[in-house]
Amino acid sequence: MSLVTAIKLGAAAAAAAFLVASPAFAGKGDLDKGRAKAIEICAPCHGENGWSDAPGVPNLAGNADLFLQWQLVYFRNGRRPSDVMGTIANLLSDADINNLGAYFASLPPVNIPETPDKNPQLTETGKALVQQHRCANCHGDNFLGMRAAARLANQREDYLVKALADYRSAARPSAGVGAMIEATASLSDDDIAAVSHYLARLPANP
Amino acid sequence: MHKPLGLFATVCAAALGLAFAVGPAAALKSYDSSKPSFWKNPPPDWFLGDETDAQKGLAPPAGPATPTSFDELNADLKKIKLAPGFKIEVYASGIPEARQMAWGDKGTLFVGSFGATNVYAVTEKDGKREVKTILKGLTMPTGVAFENGALYVVAIDKLLRYDDIEDHLDKPPAPVVVYDDMPSYVAHGWKYLAADKDGKFYIPFGPPFNIGIPPTSVAQIRRVDPKTGLAELVALGVRNSVGGDVDPRTGDYWFSENARDWISDDLPSDKLNHISHLGEHFGYPYCHQGDLPDPKFAMGHKCSEFTPPVLNLGAHVAPLGMKFYTGDMFPADYKNNIILAEHGSWNRHNYQGGRIVRIAVDPDGKNPKQEVLAEGWITGPQDYFGRPDDILQAKDGSILVADDWAGAVYRISYAK
Repeated sequence: MSLVTAIKLGAAAAAAAFLVASPAFAGKGDLDKGRAKAIEICAPCHGENGWSDAPGVPNLAGNADLFLQWQLVYFRNGRRPSDVMGTIANLLSDADINNLGAYFASLPPVNIPETPDKNPQLTETGKALVQQHRCANCHGDNFLGMRAAARLANQREDYLVKALADYRSAARPSAGVGAMIEATASLSDDDIAAVSHYLARLPANP
Repeated sequence: MHKPLGLFATVCAAALGLAFAVGPAAALKSYDSSKPSFWKNPPPDWFLGDETDAQKGLAPPAGPATPTSFDELNADLKKIKLAPGFKIEVYASGIPEARQMAWGDKGTLFVGSFGATNVYAVTEKDGKREVKTILKGLTMPTGVAFENGALYVVAIDKLLRYDDIEDHLDKPPAPVVVYDDMPSYVAHGWKYLAADKDGKFYIPFGPPFNIGIPPTSVAQIRRVDPKTGLAELVALGVRNSVGGDVDPRTGDYWFSENARDWISDDLPSDKLNHISHLGEHFGYPYCHQGDLPDPKFAMGHKCSEFTPPVLNLGAHVAPLGMKFYTGDMFPADYKNNIILAEHGSWNRHNYQGGRIVRIAVDPDGKNPKQEVLAEGWITGPQDYFGRPDDILQAKDGSILVADDWAGAVYRISYAK
C-alpha cells in the first residue's frame, strides 16, 4: 500500500485501526482500570481517546505501552521534570502506570487526514535527517514506536519540536542508554523543525 | 561532536520505501572508536558499532518500566527450575533496576542500581521487609560494599563512603570521596566492588566500546585502598567485568568477564578468570576465550601470550555477580564453589544465560566443573521475565539473587 493510500484509508478507518494497533510490547495493565484512571486525570489535556487538541500536549493513543510507562515513571521520580505531569504522576501507583500504558496503547492512533504539504522542501530535509540519524532503528520502520521508543508518525508537529528540543538540552531522560540525548545533540533548530514536519505527516496506519 | 551517520543516508533512503520487505536499513553500523572524542561522547548506540550481517538488528531489550509486583513475581518463580532440594522465593520486591547487594552489620541489605540512579536499603521490622530509597541521583551506582560501619558506593568515576549509615538510613550523611582517579566513561563504566581481608576493593574498569585499543585507564582491574586513596594495577587485558570475589581458600581474586559482541551467536565465550600473580594480561582486545585471536585487533599476537580463562562460560551468557559459597545450608559439595549470576544475552538471536550456575574449581584454577543451580528466566527467543545480576550469601547460608529486570531480590534456600 502506498503511503498516500494509507493516509486516506486510515482517515476513514479509525475503528478498524483499533484492531491493527496492537502494541509491540505485551504489557500487563488492565484496560478497564486504565480507562477509568485516564478519564479521571489524563483526558482534560490529552483527550479521552488520547487525541490531543492542545498545543504542546502530545497524542498518546496507539503509543508503545512500555514507552508510555517509562515516561510516567520518569515524571514520577523527577527525572523528567514537569510541574503538571510531576504532580499528576506522583498520584500514580505502579499498577496505575501499568494500566494507563496498556489503555493508551490499545487506542486507535491519531490519524489526521492528508492535507496539502505546505512545505515539501522541509519534508524532504526532515526525511533525509531522519534517515541520517537512523531513527527507524529504535522507533520502527514506519515510526509507530516499539518497546520503550515513542510513536512518531502523525504525532503533533509542535510537540515533536518540543520533545526533540527537550532531549537536546537533556531536559528529559532517554531510555536505551541515553540514545535520544545523543541523537539530538547535533541537531540545529532548523533540523528539529524539519524532522518534526516530516514525522508529523507520516501515516498513522501505513 | 561526532557525526558518524552521514554515510548511511543514501542507503537508508532506498531501504525506507521497502521497509516492509527488507527492514530499516541495509547498511551495517560501523564506528571508529579509536579516538578520545568517541570515548568521551559515544554515539547513542555505541554498543552497536561493530554490526555484522549475521547479528544485524540485535540490540539490548528495554526492560519493564515498573518493578514486577509481588504477586506476579510469585507466579513467575513457579516457572524457575532448581537443582533438587532447592527452593526460590521473593525476598523483596519494588527495587527498580536492582544490582549489586551488600549486608550491613546490623542486617540492612543495601542494593545498588543501574540507570535508576538509586541505592536502596531493605530493612526488616517485626518480620516485615521494607524497601527504602536512601540515595538518589547517582550516575550508575551499580556497586555497593559495606566495611566498618560505612556503606561504599561506586558510581562510574567515584568511590563514595557513607559513614555510620545504618543509623542514618532516613537521612544519610554526605559522602566522602575516597577514590576518584577513574575515567568518566559511562560505557562499560558501571562497576561492582569486592573487598579483600585488608579492606581493599577490587574494582574493574571496562573499555568504552565493544572492541578496540582501549584508553590506558581501562581494560584492567585495580585494587583500591579506600583508606589512602591509592590503587595497584592488578590485571590487564580485561574487557567488561561486572563481578568478582576473593577466594576464601587463598585470598586470590577471581572475576567474571563479558566477551566482545558481534562475532556470532556462539563466539566468543564469556569467561571466568583467576588472577594468580600481579599484572597478568587476560587477552583483550587481542585474544578471546583463550583461543580465538580477534579478527582485527590480534595484530600479530598469539593467544599463548595471555592468561587463559579458568572456564569458558558460553557465548553471550553475560556473567555478572559471583560469590564463593562458604555457608553450611547447601549440600557439602557446594563449599567453596563459585555461585554466579548470568544476566543473559542481547547480542544473540536466541537468548541464553539468564540463570544461576555453580562452579566447583580447585584453588589453582584446575578441574572446573559447572552445573545449573536455577534457570527459567528466559521466556522466549528474545525476552525475559527476569535477569539475575548478583549473588550474596545470607547469614543462614541461603543466597540472595538480585534481578534488575523485575526489580526484585530472591532468596534461594536448601532443605534435604
